[in-house]
Amino acid sequence: MNHVAIVGVGQTHHQRRRADVNVPGLVREAALRALADANLTMDDIDSVVVASGPVLFAAVNQPEKWVVDALGARGKPVVRITSGGGTGFAGALAGYYQVSGGFAKRVLVVAYDKLSEGALQYSISSLYDPFWGREFAVGIMGFSAAYWRARMDVLGHTEEAAAHVVVKNLTNAQLNPFAHVRKNVTVEDVMNSAPLAWPIKLLDVPPISDGAAAVVLSTESLAAKSTQASAIIRGIAYCAEADNAPQRSMLMSEPLAQAARTVYRAAGITNPRRQLDVVEVQEPYSCFELSYYESLGLCSPGGAADLITSGATLRSGDIPVNASGGCLGANPIGAAGLIRLIEAAMQVTGRAGEHQIPGAKLAGAQTGGGWANLRGFAVVSAD
Amino acid sequence: MYQAPDTFLSDLAPLQSTISLPYQLTPGRGTGTFLSELGRKRLVGSRCLDCQRVELPAQDFCSCGSSHLEMVQLSHQGELRGFTTKINTTLALIRIDGVDCDFLHRLVGEATWEIGMRVQAVWADEPKASVLDLEGFKPALETIKNSPSPLTDPAAPMDVMKTSMTLHYQHAHGPYYGRLFDEMRESGRIMGIRCPHCQGVLLPPREICDVCFTKTATWADVKDSGVLQAFSVIHLKFVGQTREPPYVYAEIILDGASTKIIHILDGVDIASVPKTIKPGMRVKAVWKAERRGSLSDISHFILDTPKS
Amino acid sequence: MASSSFHTFRRVGIVSSAQTNWRHSWSQAQHIDLISSAVNKALNGSGLRIEDVDFVIDSGSDVLDGRSISNCGFLGAMGAHHKEESRVEDDGLWAAQYGVNKIASGSADVGLIIAYAKPSEASVDQFHSTIAEPFCQRPIGFDEATAQGFLAQAYLRRHGLSEKTFAEVTAYAWANASINPNLNDVSAIGIDQILSSPFAATPLRELMMARPVDGAVVVVLTSERVAARVTHTPVWITGMGSSMDSGNYAMRDSTFSACEIASKAAHRVAGIHPKDIGLVEVSATSAVSELLTLEALGIAEAGCGIGLYRGEHKTVVNLSGGSLPAWPVFATGLVRLAEASDRLVAGKGNRKAIVHASSGLGAQSHCVFIIEA
Repeated sequence: MNHVAIVGVGQTHHQRRRADVNVPGLVREAALRALADANLTMDDIDSVVVASGPVLFAAVNQPEKWVVDALGARGKPVVRITSGGGTGFAGALAGYYQVSGGFAKRVLVVAYDKLSEGALQYSISSLYDPFWGREFAVGIMGFSAAYWRARMDVLGHTEEAAAHVVVKNLTNAQLNPFAHVRKNVTVEDVMNSAPLAWPIKLLDVPPISDGAAAVVLSTESLAAKSTQASAIIRGIAYCAEADNAPQRSMLMSEPLAQAARTVYRAAGITNPRRQLDVVEVQEPYSCFELSYYESLGLCSPGGAADLITSGATLRSGDIPVNASGGCLGANPIGAAGLIRLIEAAMQVTGRAGEHQIPGAKLAGAQTGGGWANLRGFAVVSAD
Repeated sequence: MYQAPDTFLSDLAPLQSTISLPYQLTPGRGTGTFLSELGRKRLVGSRCLDCQRVELPAQDFCSCGSSHLEMVQLSHQGELRGFTTKINTTLALIRIDGVDCDFLHRLVGEATWEIGMRVQAVWADEPKASVLDLEGFKPALETIKNSPSPLTDPAAPMDVMKTSMTLHYQHAHGPYYGRLFDEMRESGRIMGIRCPHCQGVLLPPREICDVCFTKTATWADVKDSGVLQAFSVIHLKFVGQTREPPYVYAEIILDGASTKIIHILDGVDIASVPKTIKPGMRVKAVWKAERRGSLSDISHFILDTPKS
Repeated sequence: MASSSFHTFRRVGIVSSAQTNWRHSWSQAQHIDLISSAVNKALNGSGLRIEDVDFVIDSGSDVLDGRSISNCGFLGAMGAHHKEESRVEDDGLWAAQYGVNKIASGSADVGLIIAYAKPSEASVDQFHSTIAEPFCQRPIGFDEATAQGFLAQAYLRRHGLSEKTFAEVTAYAWANASINPNLNDVSAIGIDQILSSPFAATPLRELMMARPVDGAVVVVLTSERVAARVTHTPVWITGMGSSMDSGNYAMRDSTFSACEIASKAAHRVAGIHPKDIGLVEVSATSAVSELLTLEALGIAEAGCGIGLYRGEHKTVVNLSGGSLPAWPVFATGLVRLAEASDRLVAGKGNRKAIVHASSGLGAQSHCVFIIEA
């Protein structure tokens, strides 16, 4: 059996603004770190995948054409994947198929966003249909808040429950050297913070960040040659849902549930809460983490508020979620999905440093983007 | 096979849409130094301390992979290696003396350009923190050769370049949106289209059902009132916002439709909305006096309270 | 169908494809109308239904579409509801490359590869100028036309040729396009007409540049097992290669070395030599890029590409007319794949074809497929 392995990972130290590097420089940093981690150089890489958020976030169309030199990838196959917020993960998925399909033996996947450079909410608003609703768009915050409000009545995803997510993730972020939000908050602080798109309040919202992340993927058999600590991808899937679908439920993310089912089956997981040691989720706002608990089967529908308030998803709980601090600790959107996968890989190879979950052997990584209609999930294990 | 009827009568002009965004771009050290120094009428490149390669504009790393670079001051002259004229602008590739690669910029002034001729820099009168602080190149009056030398008294690198992107679009309606907006404009009537397989009424209408991929069939009237499915209270201000906050962002399922529309709920006391407004409440449209054939023909929604 | 492991790389075939008509302006249709009709046509009569499709890879551009994350707004029309979908924001042939990898890995059996463009709704100049590096390239006016202009000047100088060479390439392209049933607003144009059109970017004249068109194209890829059940004439993808050159335009030489690298990789995997291939479909944004591409593919010697337009070679180039008369921007390479595949099925060429795509200013990046019937 020949799996795809993550043989090297790297991230920049994410920040509100990196004034010292341009986009190519930022991308190069993450790539060099991942290569060093894998004990490899660009000469060993067969192919490169670049993933970044929507081009309107920054001012350059086809940015992979710009960063190729910084990566040292001139002459190699280079392609850019983009998938809204799920981009970083979608880039890894494309790289995964390059390896498992025989196109390349070693692939460098690099994902980034330099959000300090653009007008985020306005550029995201252009995701709406120009004919039908764009003039009312409030980035993704508007509809995310509206969906949360709808879930409150039916599923009990209260503001307090979401506030617990914020407290947990910001606490965890303190132990993550790559995260940049360093503040301690209480549930009361979150509840009292200014409403932006109520029920989403200031402290429910991740920061705007500049950051990049990279992984080196290779065949399992090659992995042994370059590094001691590699993580094996046991299952990976991505699923989409038409944004205008009539039955589109705001209560459960069906594409996420579908992706998760596919991955659990591939990874031989029948009881995710019991079998997974740690999960990383990409929460564009705190409320989403509650929803992901249910869509990933960590609890039943309506059980998310209890799951968080019981402490089960704390680092000390039985199903730690976002030990890294999640997006609330750092949110370079185009990289966020890949960062989740990287954090999962770091956990199962025992290299998550101060935010290591002891004994973690099986980890999940979730991603999402678009109109909350692009969703992905993966499970990784130690080799 | 889709046959958009060529004879379809739609006098709805394409929807004009402009996306205009401001940016603050980070040049990085190499480009930032190059741009700052142009304002002082200096051409600054970089020399790799590992392989000795000299590049212009100044870089952050060499094509050999090294990031050990020093900034160097360059000659203002070089050899013309290629050029092309588009309308009134002539772009050129110039090999500045001592540099190991060509430099992409412009030629200025009237001249008979020839590949191989010597050209020299022309500076803008007033620097504007842009690559055009170097206006371009003209034929060299006399040959002056200078070798690259380490940059002395460097200017602070530019650390942000403010710019913007304004993109214009003309979106075709197509027959489905065309009919939808035509009916809205002419009769204040909203129409969706039914999927014969899953029985949903899609609004906005389209040829193929998004869920089951069946060709849609009959048009169906959709009422201008319905159920508030979800909402949020917008306080956030952002560039490009079309309405002054606070206001209520609403997702509504109109009676007769299976899909949502996005709009605004007005006529409510913003401060009490979190307590008084709930998903499931009924809302109805308030139309503008003049309709143009757009979702904005509906000015906003209000609560649809039953009258006794 | 989920599997996290793989043993061998399976053969992948094209079993069906469809294109909408390509028009200067599909003013009576939206993106989703064109996309869904191409998907429908590709599936009709293929023996496959939308339920059989495991995944969708699509190629499109937010900047050209006027919509961020435009794929998430078009998912329904792409048939991607509740399927795995991914957006390659590059030419459609790279989307096909992704699709081949996915099926070859054993993770899926049937994939839709979709590419589309409506340049009539946008400004193609804007699309290109926004690719240029924003500090040093974009403000001086660097764009696709000027990138091609430099290449054209260098080509004529290097080989001692005149602009008539470019006019010949253009006339050949438009003549073939005029009999292509997928195009109905194209007629042949003469050398004199081409040479008297105004300059676009010297020495290239406007008629030597690719003409943007609207439309959509879909290619259905399957595993060998499924291909055997649905068609007698699968077209196998036997080699793929791609390569990207420097983003620093001034650092590139004025030949397409990235195309050479991509071509060598594709031919090596296919175990074949370019001169043994009967049919080639190449992408280009101007007449000079067609010549440079054909030479970089190894079908003609440097400076001698024009021979392919004079019937001096066994290999036949761009029977479809290529992209000069009908250039759907990001959909170009996938159209080339559909056109080549259709012709192999119809018995043209010696049952083998080279398919090429390029993207980025001045053809910075190249993708090459070898396909065999």
